[in-house]
Amino acid sequence: MKLPENTLPTACTDFEEDLVLHYYGDGSEAERNRVEAHLEKCAPCRAFLEDLRRLLPQMAKPNELPQSFWDNYYRETLAKLAAAEERKFRWRNLFVPMRAWMLPAFGTAAVAVLAVALVFTKGHWHFSLKQPGESIPQEILVDTNQLEFFKSMDMLEALSKLETLDGTKLETVNSRG
Amino acid sequence: MDPTAQQDLRDEEVVALCQQGQSEVFEVLVRKYMEKAFRIAFDFTHDTEEAKDLSQEAFLRAFSRIKQFDGRSSFYTWFYRLVVNLCLDYTRRKGRVIWERLEKQTEGGAEPVEVADGSSLPDEEAMAGEAKRRADKTLEAMPNKQRTAFLLRNHQGLSIPDIAKVMKTTEGTVRVYLHRAVAALRQSLVEFV
Repeated sequence: MKLPENTLPTACTDFEEDLVLHYYGDGSEAERNRVEAHLEKCAPCRAFLEDLRRLLPQMAKPNELPQSFWDNYYRETLAKLAAAEERKFRWRNLFVPMRAWMLPAFGTAAVAVLAVALVFTKGHWHFSLKQPGESIPQEILVDTNQLEFFKSMDMLEALSKLETLDGTKLETVNSRG
Repeated sequence: MDPTAQQDLRDEEVVALCQQGQSEVFEVLVRKYMEKAFRIAFDFTHDTEEAKDLSQEAFLRAFSRIKQFDGRSSFYTWFYRLVVNLCLDYTRRKGRVIWERLEKQTEGGAEPVEVADGSSLPDEEAMAGEAKRRADKTLEAMPNKQRTAFLLRNHQGLSIPDIAKVMKTTEGTVRVYLHRAVAALRQSLVEFV
């Protein structure tokens, strides 16, 4: 539905807010006196206040509901509150009796499990030091460049051995000769 | 405790008893505030079932948080804040739905309207119904804070200092919200003035 485009004459800008408060009986006594003095000589502001007196109480008028609705509402609300209270106590009650027997019971169970484990394994328990996914220290890892370096070192060592061998052979030949 | 004696207790006394573990006394607060809580929720939702659920949820929250209530404000200010916050959450969630519901009501023509004295003529009733629907539409289109201030003052009769406490703002800001809301409503109801 399209709203009408015509507009109402407004109250004085300086007084409009005070008139709203005046209608509701709010504001200080000084403010009320000031508004009343103004109203005596200002027709648009009087009309504005009159509009508020006519319109606003109608808006606040609530739809009447039967007493049965309120009785039912009250009962339902109390039932919901009781359910909430019960839920809270159910959780609390779950833990309260457990506190008395829980500690010795769990302690006994833990000792029993330990004893059975010792009997069946005869005390030989193997603990794997290396966990799956455990990272290998960087120092142990060898990269390809380092391997090439070690290979070249081996070769040099082999050559020097050969040279040494050659040297001893020559000396032997010379001494024979 | 004797139910009659319970009814005579002040809010602060009821709260203190609840905080000491006598949770059954909370019923007094339900009885006292159920209608107000429902009315606020209805003003925001325009739906009886939703209003009932929201206002009952507010009671549940108040009940579960009663130990956190420190008495710095009155119980009803604290409780109103719970109701209003739940309603604002609801409107943020379902704003579009409410708007569509109001549109349908308007397009569907006149609905039965409750009249206080029962003596008015059918034309006047239809007129009042139409004015109410127009006002509801205007309220729905308003910013949440303006609407909240207006509903709490006009429909619930809360004072401006109390509204400021409920909305956690200053009295001056509440006055501005209220003025803007009233001016917008008056303008939207130009045909009925």
